[in-house]
Amino acid sequence: MSTQTLQPTAPAPRTFGAPVLEASGVVMRFGGLTAVNDVNLTVREGEIMGLIGPNGAGKTTFFNCLTGMYKPTEGEVKFLGTVLPPKPRSVVKAGMARTFQNIRLFGNMTALENVMVGRYCRTNAMALTSIIRGPKYRREEAESRRIAQEWLDFVGLGHTSEHLARNLPYGDQRRLEIARALATDPRLILLDEPTAGMNPKETEQAKDLIFRIRDKGLAVVVIEHDMRFIFSLCDRVHCLVRGETLIEGSPQEVQSDHRVIEAYIGQPDEDEEEMVAEAHAQDEAAPSTPAATDGRMKEDRA
Amino acid sequence: MTTSSSPAPRTKTAVGNPRPSPQWWLTLAGAVLLVASAFLSWCYVPALLGDLSIDAYPGGLQMLMVIVGVIAIFFLVLRSGRMPSMDTLLDSARALKALSATAAGFMVLVALVIALQAPGLANANPGLFVGIVGAALMVAGSWQMASDPLVDPITVRLPSWVEILVIVVMMTIVLFGAAFALGQEDGTVFCLFLVFLGGVVTALARGGLFSWISVIAARHRQVLMMGALAVAFLFPFTQNGSDANMSIATQVLIFATTALGLNIVVGLAGLLDLGYIAFLGAGAYVSAMMSHSAFAHIGWKPPFIVVVVIGAIVSSILGLIIGSPTLRVSGDYLAIVTLAFGEIFRLTVNNLDGNNGPRLTNGPNGIPGIPDLEIGSFNFGDTHTILGIPLGRFANYYFLMLVVAAFIIMVFTRLNSSRIGRGWVAIREDEKAAEAMGVNTFGLKLFAFAGGAFLAGMAGTIKAHQDVSVTPDQYIFLESAFLLAAIVLGGMGSVAGVLVGATVLKLLPEKLRFVADYRLLIFGLLLVVMMRFRPEGLVPSQRRALEFHADDEDLADRIEEVHLEIAAEPDPAEAKA
Amino acid sequence: MDLFFQQLLNGLTLGSLYALIAVGYTVVYGIVQIINFAHGEVFMIGAFGAMATWTVLFQGNTSLWVLPLMIVGAVASSVVVAVLMERIAYRPLRHAPRLAPLITAIGISVFLQEAIRLFYPGAKSALPFPRIDVVTGTALTLGPLTVRRSAIFTIGSLIVCAALLWFFINRTKLGRGMLAVSQDKDTARLMGINVDRIIAVAFGLGAALAGVAGVAQGLQNNNIDFFMGFLAGLKAFTAAVLGGIGNVMGAVLGGLVLGVVEAMAVQFIPGTFGGSPWKDVWAFALLIIVLVFRPQGLLGARVVDRA
Repeated sequence: MSTQTLQPTAPAPRTFGAPVLEASGVVMRFGGLTAVNDVNLTVREGEIMGLIGPNGAGKTTFFNCLTGMYKPTEGEVKFLGTVLPPKPRSVVKAGMARTFQNIRLFGNMTALENVMVGRYCRTNAMALTSIIRGPKYRREEAESRRIAQEWLDFVGLGHTSEHLARNLPYGDQRRLEIARALATDPRLILLDEPTAGMNPKETEQAKDLIFRIRDKGLAVVVIEHDMRFIFSLCDRVHCLVRGETLIEGSPQEVQSDHRVIEAYIGQPDEDEEEMVAEAHAQDEAAPSTPAATDGRMKEDRA
Repeated sequence: MTTSSSPAPRTKTAVGNPRPSPQWWLTLAGAVLLVASAFLSWCYVPALLGDLSIDAYPGGLQMLMVIVGVIAIFFLVLRSGRMPSMDTLLDSARALKALSATAAGFMVLVALVIALQAPGLANANPGLFVGIVGAALMVAGSWQMASDPLVDPITVRLPSWVEILVIVVMMTIVLFGAAFALGQEDGTVFCLFLVFLGGVVTALARGGLFSWISVIAARHRQVLMMGALAVAFLFPFTQNGSDANMSIATQVLIFATTALGLNIVVGLAGLLDLGYIAFLGAGAYVSAMMSHSAFAHIGWKPPFIVVVVIGAIVSSILGLIIGSPTLRVSGDYLAIVTLAFGEIFRLTVNNLDGNNGPRLTNGPNGIPGIPDLEIGSFNFGDTHTILGIPLGRFANYYFLMLVVAAFIIMVFTRLNSSRIGRGWVAIREDEKAAEAMGVNTFGLKLFAFAGGAFLAGMAGTIKAHQDVSVTPDQYIFLESAFLLAAIVLGGMGSVAGVLVGATVLKLLPEKLRFVADYRLLIFGLLLVVMMRFRPEGLVPSQRRALEFHADDEDLADRIEEVHLEIAAEPDPAEAKA
Repeated sequence: MDLFFQQLLNGLTLGSLYALIAVGYTVVYGIVQIINFAHGEVFMIGAFGAMATWTVLFQGNTSLWVLPLMIVGAVASSVVVAVLMERIAYRPLRHAPRLAPLITAIGISVFLQEAIRLFYPGAKSALPFPRIDVVTGTALTLGPLTVRRSAIFTIGSLIVCAALLWFFINRTKLGRGMLAVSQDKDTARLMGINVDRIIAVAFGLGAALAGVAGVAQGLQNNNIDFFMGFLAGLKAFTAAVLGGIGNVMGAVLGGLVLGVVEAMAVQFIPGTFGGSPWKDVWAFALLIIVLVFRPQGLLGARVVDRA
């Protein structure tokens, strides 16, 4: 993987395919607390959608509604035109895969085994076939091994396939999580803070990786706090504040919307303020000082 | 012998004391004396400790000291630098220290026993004192020996026939060791044998032999399996038709087989099942009720193979019922739910005597008088003679159980390394993430319960015939706790571990009759101590060891190294596929 | 109808016993989030402690003033055992996977049962519990109801213990420390609370109540045996879950409900599956139903992290 690819700061306007994901009127309440309120989101084939918002805006909760971890209180989520049952397993099977904000790898399994777990829903070997081990079983097993290895190569971890996931460096663990999600053959991949805790160089690699995923024809939804990253990566950006949609539009539109700036500056945290300001500065100047991305926020899990 | 991939094979001359040093000679003298003493009489009283009174004819216990002495001499030869590649692999100093301590402890214990039971040391013969002096010399000589730097055994390659030979030799030792141990009727002798065994195992472990053997074993898994099976198969032939030992061996095997089934639930799927004995009971009761016993109240008497299938299916249906709460409960609560199910099973078979519910199980009296199995014209009650060696009733059941055990081991290992096994590990590691990656968590957990129950039910159908009767009090909670303990003691998720654990738990109480009353007390203490100091068990699977030592980075690195090394080897089976 | 009230009374007596034991499960769970399955054995130790006190000091004495001293003996022995158990077996496992404390608990249970069976003189079979004036002897009749004297003692103990417990938790410094630790162990530690001590206190508190229960059980049943803790412990655990594990007053309520349900089931389930041979089956069935369908309990305490 090249480390310094020249990516345009804002991608040229592109045309997108049919809608993959259509969420309409999604409401999620926990007791008296409304974490997500009437959010609509449409993601199209080949599109990278950014999901931003200050702490506690309900981004991860919304993710969980999309991926079947939660059953939305109201509203519906359509994937490829059908409403899926609110079960993570069915959602994955239908072609929607995700990563987690706090890495949730299977630490005591090797990298390759982790990715092979991703192949679980695309293979069928059941107990009896696994015990008898006929040629069909062996073909399937070899096939999942091959595909898993390919995805590891794709994210640049081909050489670590036999290492334990827990022994991998942090940045590699994030990429391994993406490989595991990709191994489920998704049409849409949802990345929850894929660059959290990464250094600028790794962030740049992550961006490159996401573009390559998009180029494979997948739709991508990304939650991020790193404004510069989001605005240079996404085709569209959706901003949530206190569980409600503030604005959705192209990076330029969102970036210049005063309500977005207010939403962030309204927070007492100064880092975030700086970050938004910096994102603006970055947008005008050429991307020359990559050391400014450290001031990131942590979103508490909803 | 070659050492590959270590940049510069270290030669011994660089380190340690110059050989042969006075210490070396001292230890050698001690070892030789120890061996020599075995050929002298130790004691006037022939009735004591299996007769140690004859010159030039070592008794069983004396042979043990010959073994210790020979192993010590082997390590001393290593230390003299004659076999450099072997020398870098094994830490002779640490091994010698442990061996000396074993010899000394053993000799002192023998002297004590003679003093107390002969009674009086006046009954001791010079041989005993020669042995004690020998052991003392060994201790004195080896005490100050310095350890040499070692080469990591994973980097050492020997020709594969040597490695396979090592496995075969090891298996043979296991066979004769087991036969010898079972042959000991005298509790004191058995205890001394345990001291010897513990000492030698410690010595070899400290010498680094086992870490090397475990690497070899991982490389030649197939050979190891076949070897173990061959040993288990040959075992009855060492018993000369003695039913007493074969009865114990069969009990151990049934217990181990059931524990292996439970290990699928606990070790692989990571679910705690405290009612597992109920599945064995279900199989046994089905088998008993369909047998020709006068107390069997089911009129249909199908052939045994049909009974096995029915028993296993009934049992796995119970497994499905017991497993169904896993949809909603897990962890401690699941453990309690399974415990409650197990108790309900016991109470139910206790009650179904015609007065409280239908007459099926004969209540607390159970179903006695179950006839021996007859498959075709082969009656399991008869003694058959093969190659001049009589094989009695228990040996017949032993062979049958061996087939079942082999089947369960195959199921276990194949499931473990399949798509389903990966799913189970994923569930153990992080159930939420597994579900989010498309793993059918509920289905897999349910399957673990049903599959484990199926295997236990199968074993149960045989157990009923072997035991002659089934009663509710064979299936109390404590039995489930024993099964679980076999797994915990041996090592979760590993076949070898469960076999070791089951053997220890069943064999020791049989042989240590004089502690029989304290059996459960020791058992309880053992569980507490194991959880405190070695929660992963004696022979753990690597992954389980990591799970119990989540913050041990060194262990993780080490396991990864071994894994990488073994994965790097071309595996013929893989290459074909 | 009289039968109903009689069974209600029997149920409340039984339930008081369960409640006294159940508090131990729930207090410990509230503080350290482990389920101390060896707690039933602590109850058994209490009964034997009371009897040992009587045998050693007051052999043959049946006066009422002996009873408080027997209770002291019971409480002392069960508290010592429980605190030692925490210190030696559970504390080192505080960060171990959840399987470890559970297996340790099984080990402790077996160990304690066997220790009593082997080393308490005559405990290989059931031992007669001492008779005490006033609290044992002929039952009282209250209209149509027969009220056993021991039943009054049992219910009375529960009332007194529950009142003391409430006072302890809500009005003393140590009690408030317990509340703090149950909320957040790390923060409590930062606030200068000695968490290890609080945990030991939690074990001791539960054990004290179990000790009282041991005496009550002895008086009620007339004899005690080394295996009595197994079933009582399981049922008390059911009661704790029923009341919402971690919720102290819930445990009391859960105990009473379980006792009444059990008494009614014995009386009113008709046919061959009714009556006392099946009563434990129904108790276990209730346990399963509660764990599966209402793991948060009747009062809906904190949701147990069931991982």
